[in-house]
Amino acid sequence: MSAAPGAVEHPRTALGLGLVVWGLGWAAMLWLDGRLDLANLALAFVLTSVLSAIWWPAWLSIPVTVGAALAFNWSFVPPRGTLAIDLHHHALLLGSMIGVSAVVASLMARLRRHAAALRTAVERSEQLRQWGETLRDASDPIVHLGGLRDAVASLTQRPVTVLALKAAMPEQEDPRAAVLVGEVSGDMRAALWHCMRQGEAMGPGTHRHRELPAWYLPMQGRDSCRGAVAIGDVYEDDTTLRLQAQALCNQMGVALERLQTARDAAAAHERAHTHEVRNALLASIAHDHRTPLATIVGAASSLLQQAGRLAPEQRERLARTIVDEATRLSRMTDNTLQLARLDAPGVQLRCDWESAEEIVGTALQRARQRSPQRPLRARLEPELPLLWCDAILLSQLLDNLIDNALKFSSDDAPVELLVRRLDSCIMLAVRDRGPGIAPSWQERVFEVFQRGADHGDAQATAQVVQSRPGVGVGLAVCRAIARVHGGELRLRARGHGGCSFECLLPLKEAPPHPLERQPRPESVP
Amino acid sequence: MTLRVLLVEDDRDLRATLREALQVEGHDVVTAASLSEGLALLSHGAVDFVLLDLGLPDGDGEALLASLRRHRNWPVLVISARDAVEHKIRLLDAGADDYLSKPFSVAELLARMRVALRHRGTSLAPAVTRYRRHDIEVDLAARRVLRDGAAVHLTPTEFDLLAALVRQAGQVVTHRRLLAAVWGVEHVEHTHYLRLYMAQLRAKLERDATDPRLLLTEPGVGYRLAADDDALH
Repeated sequence: MSAAPGAVEHPRTALGLGLVVWGLGWAAMLWLDGRLDLANLALAFVLTSVLSAIWWPAWLSIPVTVGAALAFNWSFVPPRGTLAIDLHHHALLLGSMIGVSAVVASLMARLRRHAAALRTAVERSEQLRQWGETLRDASDPIVHLGGLRDAVASLTQRPVTVLALKAAMPEQEDPRAAVLVGEVSGDMRAALWHCMRQGEAMGPGTHRHRELPAWYLPMQGRDSCRGAVAIGDVYEDDTTLRLQAQALCNQMGVALERLQTARDAAAAHERAHTHEVRNALLASIAHDHRTPLATIVGAASSLLQQAGRLAPEQRERLARTIVDEATRLSRMTDNTLQLARLDAPGVQLRCDWESAEEIVGTALQRARQRSPQRPLRARLEPELPLLWCDAILLSQLLDNLIDNALKFSSDDAPVELLVRRLDSCIMLAVRDRGPGIAPSWQERVFEVFQRGADHGDAQATAQVVQSRPGVGVGLAVCRAIARVHGGELRLRARGHGGCSFECLLPLKEAPPHPLERQPRPESVP
Repeated sequence: MTLRVLLVEDDRDLRATLREALQVEGHDVVTAASLSEGLALLSHGAVDFVLLDLGLPDGDGEALLASLRRHRNWPVLVISARDAVEHKIRLLDAGADDYLSKPFSVAELLARMRVALRHRGTSLAPAVTRYRRHDIEVDLAARRVLRDGAAVHLTPTEFDLLAALVRQAGQVVTHRRLLAAVWGVEHVEHTHYLRLYMAQLRAKLERDATDPRLLLTEPGVGYRLAADDDALH
């Protein structure tokens, strides 16, 4: 602090300044001698002593003042040339001179000490603040372990070694589970691990192992300890220094703990999600796949055992049922597998430039093969841009949406495919004139049916499952397909009844148009 | 017409079912349950047609396809449970005539066999240069395309694209093959060329371009020109 006197001088400069003050003061006293009386000379002495105390520490200032007082006695106090004192009041004068000077010198010294302590405290809190900011901005605080080591080393001026966990605390000491920065001996490594496990400081001034020649400070987070720091060559406690180093370590501990908590939460979320999907898929297989299987077994066993008594038309009807149900089962299997695939991490799409017209055309053709009698039509805006997508997945999405629309509308109600460009995306919609879907179910139809997942609503679930057989996986796959393309699938109620499933896909900048080229003679047969 | 068909399929039930279905159609069927058995049967005598399953216990049917293609021109139809598109494309590029994903119907199998035979059946037959389906007629030698008897004008690129499909009418032709045939091998990645020119062709040849009956899309694999009227009988 610049306001504290003498705070900024170098010790040698300070010594010199004090000497100059004494020199000038003594010269002034010699000059004043004979012009003023002894009491005034004494005041000049006190002034000189006080001024020198501004720069000199108390241990120098006080002895010098005492010596100077004796010299004053010799030079100015009668009888001059001796240390004897004639009059009592002269003795009192000398005593007061020394006393006042000593008090001022020690007050000055105390002031200087306070200023220095304040400066250190400010520097340290600034260090803590900067360190906190560094850690807050770091995505992975473990890369700042070197920074922690440097900070503690510059604080304590001692060799520092840092140990921090990469992930969860291992059962046993395991070098692969932690990062170590700095020189370390075997004992030190064991002590660091011990300190990290116990989460308590060790070494001089602490409650544990005070005999150690080093401090071991844990990196304490809120709930756990994420690492430890060893500070070597410590033979006695310096509480403020140790607490400051501990504060730096704890900041690191909190940062590491925060990261670990976030990782744990993400992993737990992932696990829960996987579990949920697996349950849903199992439920779907258990429920949806059994129905067509039961029909197939029924029809096939009837053909096997009653063939002789069945009319040809009956036999044909049974055979057709088997083919239809087996085809349905196959599509369900495709959907279930696709859902599992899309849900796995790191799913790979086979994207290419695709034409919406072609994908819709293929879907229409396939739907016609399955349901030749149903009215189906497509309306596509002219001049649609190409889509960057996985054609197989998008075909599967449209197949499912068309199946769904056909299933829930009457035989003569039209099902329409609509493709339209909206601002920065393309909308592929499949619209029906069926009974529609209750608002409370508009989101839930996209969820994979899970038995017992929702006890409060079990009856409603049962109703929906009864009225929408096999709805479970199909729409969930559709939404997953839209989402892996960076798009969305939504359900909208239509104005005059029925619903519209709308898949929105983002557009990418189209590739350059090929040029019409001249005919190549060799390509003509 | 009686064909000698080699059926390589490891699943016993499917093998038996397919054999019976083919025998009912009047074909002569020899069956193999493994890759080595299939190779042995092939080395012993000529067949007219090969039906090849890919996941065999002692190796991949792809190996048999490769060895077959080195010496023979017999038509090969691949039947596979594998739904991976990359796999289908690789097989078609390796010389398979067509593929069928399990499960498939017998009617589908017979239709694909007829198409494959038409193209490869007798190696002495001239390459397909004429095509007729409903109201469309194509004569490659004369570079003529008729719709309802009236000439349709195609650009050179459109004509080359149609010609590549006509030569394999009824069979799927991969994107790479089409791009190489029409634009050259340096353009085999430019699938978007195909999208644009197929749209132009459809606009000229289909009654309703949004609901094609002639120029069919095989999503992710390629295109198929609907089988010729003659091939269906």
